Amino acid sequence: METLLKLDIRRRGAMSGVLTLGSLDPAFKGCAGLAGDPVVLDLRSVEFVEPAGLCGLAALLEYVIPRSEEVVLLLAGYNVPAYLERMDFFRLFGDRVRTNIDVAPLEERRRHNPGTLQELVNFHDEGEIPAIIERISEILENQGYLLKERVAICSTLSEICANAAEHGASSFGAYAAVQAYHHIVSGARRRGEEVLVAIADGGVGVRKTLSRNPAHARYTATDNDALRHALKMGVSATGEIGRGGGLTLVAQKAAEAGGSLSIRSGSGRITVYRNRKNSRNVPAFPGTFVRVSLPRHLPAKNA
Amino acid sequence: MAEERARRVFRVSDVGRLMVTRRAGREVREALEEALLGLPKGGVLYVDTRGVEMMDYSFADEALGILVSRVASGEHGDRHLVLVEEDRDLLENVEASLRQRGLAMIRVPKLGGEPSVVGGIKDHLLETLRAIHSAGSITTAELAKRLGLNHTACNNRATNLFKLGLVSRRPGASGRQYVYERIA
Repeated sequence: METLLKLDIRRRGAMSGVLTLGSLDPAFKGCAGLAGDPVVLDLRSVEFVEPAGLCGLAALLEYVIPRSEEVVLLLAGYNVPAYLERMDFFRLFGDRVRTNIDVAPLEERRRHNPGTLQELVNFHDEGEIPAIIERISEILENQGYLLKERVAICSTLSEICANAAEHGASSFGAYAAVQAYHHIVSGARRRGEEVLVAIADGGVGVRKTLSRNPAHARYTATDNDALRHALKMGVSATGEIGRGGGLTLVAQKAAEAGGSLSIRSGSGRITVYRNRKNSRNVPAFPGTFVRVSLPRHLPAKNA
Repeated sequence: MAEERARRVFRVSDVGRLMVTRRAGREVREALEEALLGLPKGGVLYVDTRGVEMMDYSFADEALGILVSRVASGEHGDRHLVLVEEDRDLLENVEASLRQRGLAMIRVPKLGGEPSVVGGIKDHLLETLRAIHSAGSITTAELAKRLGLNHTACNNRATNLFKLGLVSRRPGASGRQYVYERIA
């Protein structure tokens, strides 16, 4: 008997129709008891995929594929399959999942999208990160991004990739993706542009990583406690001085710029904004997922 | 008059413009340590990061934070580091790493430029450092006089600066007190 993994795609508001990391929560929950049966993931209600949704989907499939005899993705329309193709999704998963549509013609019609700053990329080791950063920096430079913007995007990506490579060791390593939008995707509708940086790994997660150091015992009772603690300056698994600054600074800079950093690990999820941190419980799932929103501030009209 | 010191410049931009990850930072630190140890005692290595476009926190901590910590602890003998960098965003991660470690380093905007400090240093130490910079070379007694401090308080401040690697010192002619010297 097949297992149908459900999604929670919003039908109203700014995130209507978007495959976000949060919209995958029912699927993360639904694959807990898989025992080899076929799995169907229905993406037909998805109209738009953001990088955190894409990385989350990749991590979900890496979990599901070894636990089921067949994985079927149901897709509809043109935009979402074309986007997945542009983001290299079918190059990474095309021979491991079955789709209800023929995706081969998408490859032939493939065109570069200037908003794609980093296709879905799979990496395992810290040594692969500089080349990823060199490439995205070149794309940003060619597209006229200011040095300050390039530095913000590249250092965000390098720090979260490095965390995944160091703490997120798993059979599939980690996935990252970066996309630029000519509008604001996250939250309320407002004028501006936004760059979304996302990563997903299949490692043991933040709470288990911090728990290896007894000094963190009182801060790791729950996943959300551990996430809050991990976002403090200088908190690291090893406790060495100088460690545990990268993620904190990335979160601070994103928040100061009017964006946010969201991190999901285990059954916790926390989002850091300029003036607040929101946390909520989510279905437990292996790995750590980070999504960073970096708004681009456009000059005011008539300025 | 300050003693003439051996000086060498290490241009980090010769290694790359985009400096990310601890692993890359470790490689640069090893190259910097080799250059530092190639200097005679009292020598100064100018770490020139101008031309580097970005340096993430992990790289900054691994390449500079750890190196400054080792120099301050005396691991590399009487040798010093000076950062050559303009006042720009790239300094933020160097500053964050040094503050995290309770350390600081001398920065000049260009070779021969006016020195300032990057990292965490208390106001009273900064005042003392400025007095030493302004004198170039000064005995503890003269420094105490200029700052209006008693000898012990002044000696503590100057010793702290020496332990942070921000100034050099040598025994004075009398052999009873140190002469403190600027390094850049």
